[in-house]
Amino acid sequence: MLKMTHLSKVYRTEVVETYALRDFNINVNEGEFVAVTGPSGSGKTTFLTIAGLLETFTGGQYHLDGVEVSNLNDNERSRIRNEKIGFIFQAFNLIPDLNVFDNVEVPLRYRGMKAAERKERIMNALERVGLASRAKHYPAELSGGQQQRVAIARALAGSPRLLLADEPTGNLDTQMARGVMELLEEIHREGATIVMVTHDPELAARAQRNVHIIDGQVVDLAEDPRFHHAVHAARGNAPA
Amino acid sequence: MLQIKPILAALKRHKAGTILIAMQIALTLAIVCNAIFIIHQRLDRVQRPTGMVESDLMTIQNRFVGTEESKAGPLVKADLQALRQLPGVQDAVALNSYPLRGGGWSTGVRTDPDAKNSKGHTTQYFGDEHTLPTLAVKLIAGRNFRADEIVEADPQAIPDPAVIIVSKALAEKMYPEGSALGKTIYIGDSKSPSTIVGIVERLQVPWNGTWSDTFYENSLIQPVQLTSAFTNYVIRTKPGQLADVLKAAPAALVKANRMRVIPSERGVRTFAQVREAAYKGDRGMAILMGVVCLVLLGITAAGIVGLTSFWVGQRRKQIGVRRALGATKHDILSYFLTENLLIGIAGVLIGAFLAVGMNLWLVTQFEMARLSAVYVVVGVIALLLLGQGATLAPAMRASRVSPVEATRSV
Repeated sequence: MLKMTHLSKVYRTEVVETYALRDFNINVNEGEFVAVTGPSGSGKTTFLTIAGLLETFTGGQYHLDGVEVSNLNDNERSRIRNEKIGFIFQAFNLIPDLNVFDNVEVPLRYRGMKAAERKERIMNALERVGLASRAKHYPAELSGGQQQRVAIARALAGSPRLLLADEPTGNLDTQMARGVMELLEEIHREGATIVMVTHDPELAARAQRNVHIIDGQVVDLAEDPRFHHAVHAARGNAPA
Repeated sequence: MLQIKPILAALKRHKAGTILIAMQIALTLAIVCNAIFIIHQRLDRVQRPTGMVESDLMTIQNRFVGTEESKAGPLVKADLQALRQLPGVQDAVALNSYPLRGGGWSTGVRTDPDAKNSKGHTTQYFGDEHTLPTLAVKLIAGRNFRADEIVEADPQAIPDPAVIIVSKALAEKMYPEGSALGKTIYIGDSKSPSTIVGIVERLQVPWNGTWSDTFYENSLIQPVQLTSAFTNYVIRTKPGQLADVLKAAPAALVKANRMRVIPSERGVRTFAQVREAAYKGDRGMAILMGVVCLVLLGITAAGIVGLTSFWVGQRRKQIGVRRALGATKHDILSYFLTENLLIGIAGVLIGAFLAVGMNLWLVTQFEMARLSAVYVVVGVIALLLLGQGATLAPAMRASRVSPVEATRSV
């Protein structure tokens, strides 16, 4: 589903070159729930933006759903983002001027979908996240957890091949975070491929697999003993 | 067009900015439509032909002093003789007034001496048989005056003329059903008929204000040489001799008789200067209206640029989110252009009503003509295009916002 090989991302200024990702390799299979973890500044978000085709990369290869994306133009990248990827952001990123229904509709409109089909998909997605009754509400009228559920509904409505979640519970209190995680797990059980970026070992523990990044490279989780222990503690077992 | 519903939904949440810009567009449309209409009217007026060949034509305003007011006949005759003898002069005439002079005589005219009301309104020019050749107006029917038809008259006691020459416009006004040549009209309250012996193609009245718009080509020439001490000499020079005659003619008059006043400002003028002075107000008004239009359009465009730029800045994150969710650059560009178009449509709809309302007010208050719908339609299109043009730069900036903005925390 998602395969990055020897991928690098370099930010250049006049005086310095910074490697955000270096010789980065990852392979996520269809139906997997992978948590990408790492300390702040490790390159997690850069990975996510490249994986979501929000940003280009400097070197290496990236295959998404079998397509090598490095040579795609801006319109093609937009189309793939729209059709194959569902985004869940830490700050929800709902459009404040639009109500819940219209927010969920945004990616479907860019797909040029007919109104009837859009409506059916939106209502299904909202029912899926338990917010069908709030379709006419504006984001400001919802709690953080509800807003994130709307964002998840927006991501689900387009039936994406891959869900990319960036610290999906980062802005939520514990109870709301739990609800959102349960929803993601449920979506995963139904067959979705999810890649979640997080620095929270408890969330990471709930994924099928952890990919740990330090200094822009994938490392063995054991190389970050504190995080390693925290993940295992959250799973209720001791690290090997 | 894909995005109209969400754009309208978003605009509802930004009522203040939306209403302000829509009202600015509406007011601009209303004012610009009427201003351009006024400009067009003024320019039309400025371009109205007098009926004369205006090149190689000049005027001298003369007042004899030390002479009884109505006893200047011989002096005028002597002046004309002196002027006609100048080498650069083709012909000269003494008139009470001439087109675009700004002051003259007007009267009602009738075809029935017993009619209560006059059938038309006209200006009266008093001149001799040199009038037509000097002014170079085109005689389209009949003949010029003969020398024996010219009478000398005190301006206070002008006899009813036996023969007259009229402009085509007056002829058609008096006799719309057929040729006026050879027919009679009655000047003012006179019961004595005047026979039309000649019709000239066009001869404008001396005034160019709104009040004379209804009869601005209604002129009649009476075969009268006024004996007034105040007279206007109109001189046609030979081709290319105008500059020389401008100097030679007043000198010749002074040489013939020093007891006269030729004003320094308006005393000796080419007809180009007469026209320039006559339409100074109209041109000034047209320029003022043009400047007002440009300023208003500029302010409106700046307002649109400012508001769109502000919205682009304010929605930077939102644009990034839209891009992340699959919007192409073109979708973003189209979003802002459509948003402006919707505001613009609201503005021009209100503006069209305001434009017509403003014109109706001007019609009742200042006797202006009714605004043609063409001005409103062209104004609507122009304002919508202006809006789209003003939106383009900020909208293009918006379309360049990277989708990665969606992941930025602020």
